[in-house]
Amino acid sequence: MIRLENLHVRVGDFDLRDISLEVPKGGYALIIGPTGSGKTTLLEAVAGHARLQSGRVFMHDDEVTDLPPERRGLGFVYQQYHLFPHLSVRDNIGYGLRRPGNGGNGSAAGTRIGELAELLAITPLLDRTVRGLSGGEQQRVALARALAPRPSILLLDEPFAAVDPATRLVLRRELRDLHEREGITTLQVTHDFDEALRLGDLVAVLSEGRIAQSGRPEEVFRYPNSAFVARFVGTGNVIAGTVERKEPGGAPGPFRGVFRGDTLALDVVAEREGPTHAVIRPEDIVLSLTPHPDSARNHMTGRVVRLERSGPVTLVHLDVGRQLLASLTTASVEELGLQAGITVIVAFKATAIYLV
Amino acid sequence: MPVPSVWSRVVLAGLSAFLVLFIVGPLLRLLLLATPHSLGEALRDAELRDSIVLTVLTASVATVIGALLGLPLAYLLARKRFPGRRIVQGIIDLPVVIPHPVAGIALLLFLGRRSEVGGALASVGLQFVSHVPGIVVAMLFVSSPILVSGAREAFRSVDPQLERVARTLGDTGWGAFRRVTLPLAGRGILAASILAWARSVSEFGSIVILTYNPKVASIFIYDRFTAFGLPAAIPAAVVLLLVALTVFVVVRVLQPEEHR
Repeated sequence: MIRLENLHVRVGDFDLRDISLEVPKGGYALIIGPTGSGKTTLLEAVAGHARLQSGRVFMHDDEVTDLPPERRGLGFVYQQYHLFPHLSVRDNIGYGLRRPGNGGNGSAAGTRIGELAELLAITPLLDRTVRGLSGGEQQRVALARALAPRPSILLLDEPFAAVDPATRLVLRRELRDLHEREGITTLQVTHDFDEALRLGDLVAVLSEGRIAQSGRPEEVFRYPNSAFVARFVGTGNVIAGTVERKEPGGAPGPFRGVFRGDTLALDVVAEREGPTHAVIRPEDIVLSLTPHPDSARNHMTGRVVRLERSGPVTLVHLDVGRQLLASLTTASVEELGLQAGITVIVAFKATAIYLV
Repeated sequence: MPVPSVWSRVVLAGLSAFLVLFIVGPLLRLLLLATPHSLGEALRDAELRDSIVLTVLTASVATVIGALLGLPLAYLLARKRFPGRRIVQGIIDLPVVIPHPVAGIALLLFLGRRSEVGGALASVGLQFVSHVPGIVVAMLFVSSPILVSGAREAFRSVDPQLERVARTLGDTGWGAFRRVTLPLAGRGILAASILAWARSVSEFGSIVILTYNPKVASIFIYDRFTAFGLPAAIPAAVVLLLVALTVFVVVRVLQPEEHR
């Protein structure tokens, strides 16, 4: 278990503030955010490398705020791996084992190294130097090295950033398997929300040194609490505008309103008036060639700008006076005969517009 | 860079060759005198032998002291940001720009028996002027900038993240330094120490003021030259040149590729 309470870390003129987060025992949490949002600083604070201005860090109910990194019992895999260049692969993996009370004697260390090497398919590399290893191989060695002393907490800083996409997929799966096998509480930093959806039980979106939103990945993806989060996690179309009531007055609670933003006037169900952002998920947009009556409140004509196929799903870039992104199955794109330049009817329900 | 014309290439090569030959020529001329016979003769000279042994020993002591005091400072300069860091760096580099006799005079004033520091040290039996410790402090004064700046670069070449990784793997700060930084910076530190040692061996200007006797090799050569003329100075010069060349080769081998 990792619990962060109101962390405040200052690095130069950058402030990481009000960071509170709890990763349950055996959980897998991801910190996501754009470059410069403070992700790595946050990991370093958890590891004990960064001095805290204020706040407290707990691991398994013990406060570790004032403990040096070596007494926190955690593994840390850096983005650039940082393998020890003067040691062999074997000695890199065994680095944290060569110490009384931290993995036992030489033969126990040897067994652990062999076991991890097998698990990560790097046994043939054990006697090599680390120079000349590929990115994926270095990543596996770094992971084995961090796991060798059986840490109860694993910190990962963009572990897949420097490997090719195919290796990334394999490593991701292996990491998830390892996590389940060893039951390690894991905190990973990434800038890729897709990774969060695939790996995490919990995600925290970081923006300019603060947690903008945290929760289950699907929840954050579906219900972003701000335009920033919606844009960052790729929820889809984010439109700035204002909400007005259709009928003035009325009871408190949700009401029917009109959202005006860019060139659009949309029927929405709102809870408050005034400036806001409308988020429309691409999969909630329905396209047709001829108008037909349905329950959707919002209809407009649009021009297909571009099709972007990715397997069974096709993203349709539309121009409805502004850019709009729709996601259809590739089968229905074929069926409708969609292609760049044609005009289509664009429809979506009032309830599909999520106001943040 | 644009492709140089034929003429500019000739000029470039000509000027470069001139300087290279200017350095090689005199040294080669002296080295050619180093026949087994002449070397044997030089080493039969007890006074020369003593001065070389004295030089090697004092330079070694100065290097060890320089390393003990200089390595922590080099690490500090390479890794930490602290107020006055640039000033400390400047002070460490100062001896490089001070003419050596000036350094000798400053040391004499500071450590002579009539000064507070020198007087206090003399009262506990540590004398510098015209004593062996004088040679060591003069050597330390001129060679420490070389050791500190070389070691600083060696420490700087080690990624500080590696120490952090070692810390998360259970090492204390000292453990991470000993198991990661020191082995990785080791060659650079050794090369810097040898250069500092060589600088000490070649020192003349400050030692001649502080401790003329007992004579280190450079003063011995000067003494022979002024008292007995060129032929008397040559054997000692040849021996010292060979010592310097050996050190030079060793340092070249130790240094990482990009500095060669």
